[in-house]
Amino acid sequence: MKRNTLVLCVVLVLLAIFGWAGWANWEYRRQAAEALLAQAARGELVADAATGAPQYNSPLVQKPAPDFTLEDLTGKKVSLASYKGKAVLVNFWATWCGPCKLETPWLIELRNQYTPQGFEVLGISTEGEDLAENDKAGWAKQKAAIGKFVTEMKVPYPMLLNGDSISKTYGGLDSMPTSFYVDREGKIIAAQMGITSKDEMEENIRKALGNSK
Amino acid sequence: MHKALAAVLVASASLVSAQSPLLDGPKRSLAKSTNAVEYLFPEQVTVPTGKPTAIALHFRVAEGLHINSHAPKDDYLIPTTFAIPAGEGVVLKDAAYPRGADITLPIDPKTRLNVYTGEFIIDAHIVAERGNHLVQATLRYQACDNNACMPPKTVTVPIDVIGQ
Repeated sequence: MKRNTLVLCVVLVLLAIFGWAGWANWEYRRQAAEALLAQAARGELVADAATGAPQYNSPLVQKPAPDFTLEDLTGKKVSLASYKGKAVLVNFWATWCGPCKLETPWLIELRNQYTPQGFEVLGISTEGEDLAENDKAGWAKQKAAIGKFVTEMKVPYPMLLNGDSISKTYGGLDSMPTSFYVDREGKIIAAQMGITSKDEMEENIRKALGNSK
Repeated sequence: MHKALAAVLVASASLVSAQSPLLDGPKRSLAKSTNAVEYLFPEQVTVPTGKPTAIALHFRVAEGLHINSHAPKDDYLIPTTFAIPAGEGVVLKDAAYPRGADITLPIDPKTRLNVYTGEFIIDAHIVAERGNHLVQATLRYQACDNNACMPPKTVTVPIDVIGQ
């Protein structure tokens, strides 16, 4: 009788252990799947094989650019889809970002140079301020700062607001500036995080236009 | 019988450890996943009740990064700011920020920035009520490296303030 009780106890313990192992396995797989989904669009800096310099490796490259519709400074809605047939440089930036300010004159020059060939820049302000939707004063202040920047820098291309609302679809946007080069078919052909050089930007623009050297 | 049971137990234990979610989490991205600024100390201060007292708060900026000082040179840049929310039993009367270092970045040698790098100290002048207050102060900053900038961030600075 005693022996049977002992065996029963051991069996119950074993069943409990197996049950726990099954739950742990399921939980592990669930967490891994969630992490995978979150990482699916997230780019990261990796060392270039040849030079060792950090390069932005975005999984969005060679994939269709996620579409978006955002308002510009005048309240007009602008969507990426409406630029199909043109090469587009989608430039995420922020007013507090020094390197963004530094590359803006390059963007203006390149935009003016390549517009006749069917090229446009879409600047998207991505302030990362976590403003509540009903924070009217906060949004107004932010919009005023962006407007001031656009006026001072004489930015000729569309400047769209609230890039934070689409940041997840573009990989989380951990740093600014982050740029995506979209070809005439709407496919991302290159991505850059951080300031690079005017020459590198031009090379990517030419690729997006389909006339790389 | 006992040997068989022991073997099953050992096998079960191995199986459980092999499947434990604690042992093999997803790999971390190289993206900026940690705070650019770390609060070092003090964790606890004792101050006379009702009298303004200066406490030196030590912070460290992660290697390779800089944050704007409290007085950056451009209106667009976000200054580093320390605050204590109301209702904590401790009032921040004033904060003395260190003078930042003037630097230029390799990509733009013409523009001078005023920043904090490495360790820096903020002297906070506080007035505490009597008692033990676990203050959730905040530090707001915006960090960059030589080529890119991260969004502004507000981190909690926990300090146990004892007013006596």
